[in-house]
Amino acid sequence: MAMTALAPEGLAGIAGLVRCEQYDREAIAELLTEMTHGAYPHEQVYGEYCTVHAHIECPPERVFAYMSDPYSLMEWTYSVRALRPSTKAGLLVGVDARDTPLYCRVESHPEAFTVDYHCAWDQGDQLWMIYLNRIVPAERVLNRPGSVLIWTNCRHPHYARNPFPALAPRERAWVGDYWPFFYAGHSLELANLKAILEYRVRHSLPPGPHLLAAEALPPLPR
Amino acid sequence: MPQLSLLAVSSYLPDQVVDNEFFARGTAERRGMFTAPATRRHVRADESAVDMIEKAARRLIEREGLDPARDIDLLFTNVAIPDQAFTGCGAEVAARLGAHPRWIVDLHNTGCVAFLYMLDLAQALVQGSSARGALLCCVQNAGGRLFSQPGVRTKSQAPIPGDGCGVGYARAGERSPLLSLVQRCQPEFAGDMRAIGDDGRRYWEPGLSPISIAFTEARVAAILQRGNALVPELVRLACAEAGVAVQDLDLLVTNQPSLIFLRNWREALELRPGVHHDTFARLGNLFGAGIPINLEDAIANAKIRPGSLVCMAGFSHAGDYGAAAVLRWQVNPR
Repeated sequence: MAMTALAPEGLAGIAGLVRCEQYDREAIAELLTEMTHGAYPHEQVYGEYCTVHAHIECPPERVFAYMSDPYSLMEWTYSVRALRPSTKAGLLVGVDARDTPLYCRVESHPEAFTVDYHCAWDQGDQLWMIYLNRIVPAERVLNRPGSVLIWTNCRHPHYARNPFPALAPRERAWVGDYWPFFYAGHSLELANLKAILEYRVRHSLPPGPHLLAAEALPPLPR
Repeated sequence: MPQLSLLAVSSYLPDQVVDNEFFARGTAERRGMFTAPATRRHVRADESAVDMIEKAARRLIEREGLDPARDIDLLFTNVAIPDQAFTGCGAEVAARLGAHPRWIVDLHNTGCVAFLYMLDLAQALVQGSSARGALLCCVQNAGGRLFSQPGVRTKSQAPIPGDGCGVGYARAGERSPLLSLVQRCQPEFAGDMRAIGDDGRRYWEPGLSPISIAFTEARVAAILQRGNALVPELVRLACAEAGVAVQDLDLLVTNQPSLIFLRNWREALELRPGVHHDTFARLGNLFGAGIPINLEDAIANAKIRPGSLVCMAGFSHAGDYGAAAVLRWQVNPR
């Protein structure tokens, strides 16, 4: 088998690396203890990225199948409702927060167990609100059955300023104004997701989403 | 049942000020858990724990106008490195002060929270007997006795400890009532700190290696987490039991094992700036003497007034004991 070693000059010029060649055990202990606090301000933890995670008593394949179906969002999210196909292939449109058209496309990869929701309020051309989900077999990481779900949002600059203000109804709060509540809101939605998946496994029900043919859907807000 | 009040605290600091030059090269630049105080005191070889307690206690006795023979029914001591290996120094302290306590208790447990443990015991004894006044004596002398020795003084933890003696006088009454006192023993952590020689020599075995006190390296992260969690939890518990909000505290004094713990406790409790008072930069880790010395220093710096809400808290060794107490300072006339 071919063996390799690091090229001696490969890291030349890169400042600030913390590697055992420069930091012995005592020096690294100083850094580690200094960086380890007992409590962290909310803004520091959830200011730029918001990650929530949970263990779900449900096989990863089943979690993946459920989450890959965008219509499941109508069951486990707080406010995504009335989804239907839009004029663009793969792009759904529904209603969020009562008065907002919500556009959503799912990008999922069964080999990687990732399910990403690419979304936006008001318009479907620029899907900048991206919900990144990774499902991990709990058998591997926790030595127990079920799945670990890791869900991250990144604070896109559009959260700070609505890129299409002309499309927004007057007096409506912007989605980015709620960023400080994302940890709480996403935790609640994750708890919904976990409860639904686990209940259906426990009661040997089909995974869902449980849908009916609809005669008509509420019109999209405008 | 009689209420216990903490009436006064007093301290004695050895006159030998030791700066960072005394320790390993680069001591002043250390960070994290090993951030060194600028100075600390060390006891001299001939300075006994009894000497230290006597000096601290005499100040208190004079200031408060106490008659040791009449006013000290209970005498507690805790000494980091005891004068004698086979008995505590309480009886000698009583002889020096002219006290005739009904009970003398030389505590050899609860280290950094011994002051609070003594208060708890004093309360129980006052409520269960005719004893009224208790002298609580905490001595930290590991700086001079252990961490100044050749072979130890260059270790990374050697600059942190500083010596001193803190004493307190508690008495049945309503003057500065103890509103709550919670304490916890976590016996599973009792074995995580050891006094041992570099060559593994036990302290009573003959040999040339100096003795020092240390955690096992693998335990440092665990101990950090234990201390981070335990002290704020007990402070909240003591406040809840006293019926007050943490944010209403006028003063928090704790043991001061390192700047990291002080920072973490202050952050976790979201205290107003200045409420958590310490003397780490000047005196280092005072072990069990830290709480009474910091309280006296806070009083000297006008951090509290009559009626102020004071919390004392900490944990000992590798987390085997933790305690917190809340009192209302001088809220009633004598």
